[in-house]
Amino acid sequence: MVVLFILIPFVLLLVLNLPFKFLNARIAFWLSVVLFSTQALFVLINSLFAWSNYPAVLGQFLIFKLWLDPLAFIMLFTIAIVVLVSLLVARSTITTEKRSFNFINLLLVALTGMNATVLVADIFSLYVFVEITAVAVFVLMAIEKNKFAIEGTFKYLVLSMFASVFILTSIAFFILACGDLSFSEIHNAFLANSNIILLNFAIGLFLCGLFIKCGVVPFHGWVPDAYSEAQSAVSVLLAGIVTKITGIYVLMRLFSSVFVLKGSFHNLIMLIGVISIVFAALAAFRQDNIKRMLSYSSISQVGYIVLAIGCGTPLAILGAILHFFNHAIFKSLLFVNAAALEKKFGSTDMSIITGLGSQLPVTSVTSLVGLLSTAGIPPLSGFWSKLIIIIALFNAQQFTYGWIALLASVLTLAYFLFMERNIFLIKTETAPEGSDGVPFGIKFCEILLAAITIGVGLGFPFILNSQILQLKGLLY
Amino acid sequence: MKNELVLFLIIFIPIIGALALPFMGRISTRLRNGVSFTLVVLSFLFSSFLLPTALSNQSIAIVKYFPLGFNFILSADSLAVGMAIVVSFISALIILYSFDYIKHYENQNEYYFMVVLFLGAMMGLVFSGNLILLYIFWEITAVTSWRLIGFFRRKEHILRADKAFLVTVFGSLLMLLGFIRMYQETGSFDLSTIKQVIKLHPISDLTIALILAGIFSKSATLPFHTWLPDAGVAPSPVTALLHAAVLVKIGVYVFARIFIATIPLAVFWQTAVPVIAGISALICAGAALVETDLKRIIAYSTISQIGFIFLGLSIGSPIGVAGGLLFILMHGLAKAGLFLCAGVVEQNAKTKDIRQLGGLIQTMPVTALSFLFCAFSVMSIPPFGGFFSKYMVISGALETGHLVIAAVFLFGALLTILYLLRAFNMVFLGEIKNSSVKEGSFIMLLCVGLFAILSLAGGIFIQYPNAVVQEITRQLFSLR
Repeated sequence: MVVLFILIPFVLLLVLNLPFKFLNARIAFWLSVVLFSTQALFVLINSLFAWSNYPAVLGQFLIFKLWLDPLAFIMLFTIAIVVLVSLLVARSTITTEKRSFNFINLLLVALTGMNATVLVADIFSLYVFVEITAVAVFVLMAIEKNKFAIEGTFKYLVLSMFASVFILTSIAFFILACGDLSFSEIHNAFLANSNIILLNFAIGLFLCGLFIKCGVVPFHGWVPDAYSEAQSAVSVLLAGIVTKITGIYVLMRLFSSVFVLKGSFHNLIMLIGVISIVFAALAAFRQDNIKRMLSYSSISQVGYIVLAIGCGTPLAILGAILHFFNHAIFKSLLFVNAAALEKKFGSTDMSIITGLGSQLPVTSVTSLVGLLSTAGIPPLSGFWSKLIIIIALFNAQQFTYGWIALLASVLTLAYFLFMERNIFLIKTETAPEGSDGVPFGIKFCEILLAAITIGVGLGFPFILNSQILQLKGLLY
Repeated sequence: MKNELVLFLIIFIPIIGALALPFMGRISTRLRNGVSFTLVVLSFLFSSFLLPTALSNQSIAIVKYFPLGFNFILSADSLAVGMAIVVSFISALIILYSFDYIKHYENQNEYYFMVVLFLGAMMGLVFSGNLILLYIFWEITAVTSWRLIGFFRRKEHILRADKAFLVTVFGSLLMLLGFIRMYQETGSFDLSTIKQVIKLHPISDLTIALILAGIFSKSATLPFHTWLPDAGVAPSPVTALLHAAVLVKIGVYVFARIFIATIPLAVFWQTAVPVIAGISALICAGAALVETDLKRIIAYSTISQIGFIFLGLSIGSPIGVAGGLLFILMHGLAKAGLFLCAGVVEQNAKTKDIRQLGGLIQTMPVTALSFLFCAFSVMSIPPFGGFFSKYMVISGALETGHLVIAAVFLFGALLTILYLLRAFNMVFLGEIKNSSVKEGSFIMLLCVGLFAILSLAGGIFIQYPNAVVQEITRQLFSLR
């Protein structure tokens, strides 16, 4: 039954493209809204076991196997929320009928790809669906057809292709070493300890590819261009979920439960994570475009997740998953704020848009929620996931990394305070007069995401106890 | 059960009520002002309701267990209840004063929201029985005070607010590191559990140092003190709230909570903390002597006086601890009074520079007299309240044989007298430089006068606060 997560978006995509007059962007928009919110609600209401127990009638026709575990379960929820937000933002930022229709179609492709990525159980299908998602996003990024957007897309495309080459080569080595590409077979091969040199070489290659896809320092060159030059709604999608699913989810899945790693790989991943945290935070200080600053902040926060995955203990992985979810939510929130600013003032340059607090009350307050959560200030959601990651690092005796990860929060707070001060707080005579108000769709997204951030933050111990830890196998 | 409910209400009435204030403000400003005052007064009344139970040494606690040690534990002992009463009482008066002070400015909804939320978070912090819960409330106070310092939205104000926020957050992150290390060493974030485990093996010095760094940053003690004088750009009720009554006392309270009520401080720290406090007290007293901005003088004075509280609490003798606790009350009353007087002066004379002020006693006699009374209490002139607390603190130092430290602090007390008299002299005495200055409004004068009278009454009727403080100290030491 799990296959419905892939089939329904795919079928909807086909139906929307049937040659009927009445299938316009409006219909497509509402159908997609229903689909995305249904996915979120179903995950929220139905327990994991209910899903696994359905008979897998449809699944047996597929050439690849699907599985649904707690990790995938949380991912499906995150995907649904962010995709829904991106769609709502697009409704007010993409104005022409034709483009809007194309956007929705591509969004459905991306959704299909991401849902499948988290559900497949073998490494080759994983690669295929990652690429499907990526291709949809390439086109989405270039949908504006201006020079800079194309430049950003091109950078992403080229680097992503490099990553693909690494990953494909690595998959070839896995075939050599294991004979089969399903997660369980690869895991068994590691346990059996045969061909260990070949396997480690394959892991190394895979890791190179994944680092590019995650956009961690020093492989981050494409991230700021891609995030900042894309259309607002696409930035939300890209920064909120796509890079995370195609990069970090894969890293999380393979390196926490499929591969059995040597200590040096753990150290390498943790090192890359810490470098990302610190360097990207420092680089964020130098940005005067809000979207570029958010991009660097994103790299820095992704560093936390990578660091936790590198640590590899069950508690660290739990922290990584929670930070994944929280970061997807509050970074989407911040990009939606940027979209609101861009919509109203036509600019994301912090030297132009300044002193706007009184004009944009909702954006001002919600961006505060987003940035405080990113900086890990309690009681917001970001605090808890960072705290778990840091406790896990300390438990694993990684004291240096723990210290750096915790104290880097000050850097995060510092550059965000700069942003908040410039854009919203200070009073200037030169504050620009915007066009008409922020559209309802964007406001709704801002409030929704801020509410999730605050709600998860306030109720975290309760949610952890009653929901997350009930997903068996997440924390052993 | 009844007491538990009251305990819950003390914290969550202001926090949840604060959320509604901005919406009330859109309907009617009077409603909003009245409700925010009521919320704080309710907190005060409920805290007072708990006092007899707490003094009779019965435990009141709400305990709910969660995974990973993130337990929700609120517990009310006499120390917590006493602190809550002091804080909520002073806050209530400050809110009353704000009615007239803040009505001339924009963003009033935000102001009342932040002040009441601040108080709620402070109440939560006071009653927290779990380090993570304590940290959460601690940071909420940091966020609210960040917005309160940057209340007037000019660039230099917001820069200073950001500075205060970053310094205190840096300190609190160090403290969180200390908490996590404590968790590693004892296996729990719960203070009661830590207290049991600690008897078997002591906490490492690095952990203590990290927690102290957080406490010092919040209490604006050297070397983290620079944010506090800069925070004087805030509206006056806020500076009073931040400097005098609440914010800097958070650090002091947490010190008492962790290092007196939970972990006995090792001998090394019983000397180290007073030394740091002494340096802090002297340097900032010196700074107060040369400063020309009235609010900055009082702010430096606060840092200097906080040093005395740390001395009393860390020196390890019951009379010192009792003196330190009494000091929190007396200093809170007197310093809040001083800041509110400075607010009256600033608002009516349109300047805080003491060189441009003079002779104000003729045009604003009530303010001048109140300022003098409060200043006497801070200077610890008998029979004002401040005298008894400072006397007890210093005799605590002498009792444990720290003669040099006691002498240093006595010198600090002398400096206190000098800089406060200098400030009073330049602002209120001498020739009139600006004759158009009028006296403040009735409500503002009422609050200022009340603080002055309470500073005097606290000294004359010293036996009542002293009895409570002695009982708290007895419980703190007997529970070891």
